[in-house]
Amino acid sequence: MEIRLKNLTKIFPGNPKKGIPDTRAVDNLDVVIPDGKLIGLLGPSGCGKSTTLYMIAGLLEPTSGEIWFGDEDVTDLEPEKRGIGLVFQNYALYPHMTVYKNVAFPLTNLRIEEAGTIPDREKQDALKATYANKIAAAETKEEKAKIKDELNVELKKAVLPDLDSEGKPVMKKRRLTKDEIDKIVRETAKIVQIEPFLERKPSQLSGGQQQRVAIARALVKKPRVLLLDEPLSNLDARLRLQTREEIRRIQQSTGVTTVFVTHDQEEAMSISDEIVVMKLGVEQQRGVPQEVYNDPCNKFVANFLGTPPINLFKGKIKDNKLYVGDAMVREISEKQVPDQDCTVGIRPEGIVVEEKGNFAFHVDRILTMGRDIMLVASHPEGLSNIKFVVDAFVKVGVGDIRVSVKPHKCFAFSLEEGEKRII
Amino acid sequence: MAISQERKTSSESRPVSTKENGVSSRRFSLKKLFMPKERVTADAGEKNNWKAWLYLAPTIILLAVFTFYPLINTIVIAFLKNYDYTTQTNSGFTFDNFGTVLGLVGLSQSKETFYRWQCLGDWTSNVGYVTMADGTTKTVYFTMDVIQYALPNTLIITFVTVPISIIISLLIAIGLNSIKAFKKLFQTIFFIPYVTNAIAVGMVFAVLFDYQGIINFVFGLGSQPWIDQAAPAWKAMIALCIYIIWHSLPFKILIFLSGLQNIDKQYYDAAKIDCAGKWKTAMNITVPLLSPQILYIMITSFIASFKEYTSVVGLLGSPSTDGGGTKNMYTIVYYIYDMIKGNVGYGAAAAVLLFIIIMIFTAIQFQVSKKRVYY
Repeated sequence: MEIRLKNLTKIFPGNPKKGIPDTRAVDNLDVVIPDGKLIGLLGPSGCGKSTTLYMIAGLLEPTSGEIWFGDEDVTDLEPEKRGIGLVFQNYALYPHMTVYKNVAFPLTNLRIEEAGTIPDREKQDALKATYANKIAAAETKEEKAKIKDELNVELKKAVLPDLDSEGKPVMKKRRLTKDEIDKIVRETAKIVQIEPFLERKPSQLSGGQQQRVAIARALVKKPRVLLLDEPLSNLDARLRLQTREEIRRIQQSTGVTTVFVTHDQEEAMSISDEIVVMKLGVEQQRGVPQEVYNDPCNKFVANFLGTPPINLFKGKIKDNKLYVGDAMVREISEKQVPDQDCTVGIRPEGIVVEEKGNFAFHVDRILTMGRDIMLVASHPEGLSNIKFVVDAFVKVGVGDIRVSVKPHKCFAFSLEEGEKRII
Repeated sequence: MAISQERKTSSESRPVSTKENGVSSRRFSLKKLFMPKERVTADAGEKNNWKAWLYLAPTIILLAVFTFYPLINTIVIAFLKNYDYTTQTNSGFTFDNFGTVLGLVGLSQSKETFYRWQCLGDWTSNVGYVTMADGTTKTVYFTMDVIQYALPNTLIITFVTVPISIIISLLIAIGLNSIKAFKKLFQTIFFIPYVTNAIAVGMVFAVLFDYQGIINFVFGLGSQPWIDQAAPAWKAMIALCIYIIWHSLPFKILIFLSGLQNIDKQYYDAAKIDCAGKWKTAMNITVPLLSPQILYIMITSFIASFKEYTSVVGLLGSPSTDGGGTKNMYTIVYYIYDMIKGNVGYGAAAAVLLFIIIMIFTAIQFQVSKKRVYY
């Protein structure tokens, strides 16, 4: 199911008497979420990503704008009628129910529609006649009971479609039977691998297990859309890695359109088909994670994506060359750029340590990370904590070093409002 | 500061103190009786214990004088014949008080009639005749007030008012919890019955249920007697139950409301996403998550309504609606109260019986709640 958000806006009213202004949590958001994809809504806390998710879920009413599921406008639809599954940040598993009951709960509320049937009298009479002989022929009581059971099964099958006067089938709504529910619950439990815990209470499960139960509960009614609100924030680092792959696997095996909210860019980038970076309710950039990382549209996006974050310096553009202080860090070959002051961003991995390099900084400390080492550095023009990452075999020590900058890891951002990327 | 130091030393000296404990275990010690074992070992520096007892002393003395002593004394009196509390005299040990209260005559008179229901005599005069083993007839005293009136009335009050008031207060609490405007105002209104005097409210209800009262007028019932001398007991019971329910609502609402406010709103969002209707959400989310409060209210209000007495005095003024002949509106506590002026032994026996009944019901509720209550 494709989800389209059109000019979605949510304003939380403030209190003019107390001088609290209105909060524009989401501002004119326009997003198309393609069918069957996993989309990560990414941004720092307070950027409106959860609000967006809750509006898609229907738990919050948008101030203006529209939400479309495929060809259906669901803006004013009740959450229960939208056919969504939602995994809450702290899972919100019903603590008094077993895992089984938690997962089965949405199914007990579900009503399915199917063509009604009426009993086929002639066929049933014929069946009864043949089975009457069989019962008479049976010797023991058990056999008779068995044949009667068979008869009952056959009688249930002997039905005709219920047609109205125009010959169309009459649709009837009914609740799922216990056996049907059991079957679906066990199937879903298998997908998310919680079968061994079905009879336990949520409090007896670990965070990761609870999380899978929450996903199972969201998936069990075969939702059109699966929404995940910071699903990994309550897990420890190792479990987080494992679980995010699990989410990816579950999403791919079910093929359900999934929207995933997180403030952790690594999480979003690693499993999303596409990410939407948001800031203060406004979409900043959308695209395939690697492209957004390689090609950020403004300083915010560049700064937000990547750990450690991008290093920022005061700089200027002069004669189509990018300078930090007096050092020319990069030539601009792709286009003509007017001379101006700007902010220079260099990705932590964007340097090569070499004597002839034209960029220099002072290494204060060296942190060993195992696979590579991190240089904690300082530079007179530096605007942020400066951290560079180089391979572990590179020999560096504390003190001044010279490096050259990889051009594709080096960006310049305008100083004007919006801090758009210049190159 | 001092406490933390004490803790430190006591935890350091743990192995030593365990040994001490082993030595002193031969003699009886109150400390061991009342304190959990770990605490005893941790706090074995016996010299400090007098402080704890000092702090506890006011409560313990008050409890001993006004609770434990009367409690034990009541049980003793229940087994004494012809106890007179002014002279402190009695005629020895007996089961007769229980026999009399239960209308179970001749409990200790003879082997033949032991445990036999004997209601041969004239009920109103409370005199029975028991045939003894040697063929002679002996006059015994019994009362049917408890078996015929007090116990059934108390049970009716309990099993009518407790469930109804719990359901009503739960609905009101859920309603109050979901409204936004005037919430505080309604909370105050619903809480007013709690702070009003039971006797005063009883008098107001007495006016409402008067044969010329508002109830008859509003429902167009003519001049039906409800609580007057001519009213049948069942009508008086209806009025009484309505009064008790009304008066017991506010405390329950208060408890339920505080319980409801502690339930995470996210469960309701989750229930909405799970397509649960309002009724289903209430039954599957609200009630189970409120179950500790419901259990608490159930047990306390069961106990309270077994002890119902003030409401009868407040509404009816007397235990009788037919001019004082029969005590058809007796409750167990009302009977006990009346016996203070009569035979204290009967009252004590009735009190012991009430205690046993309450114990049994509370035990049953705890047993049932083990499966139903989620903490």
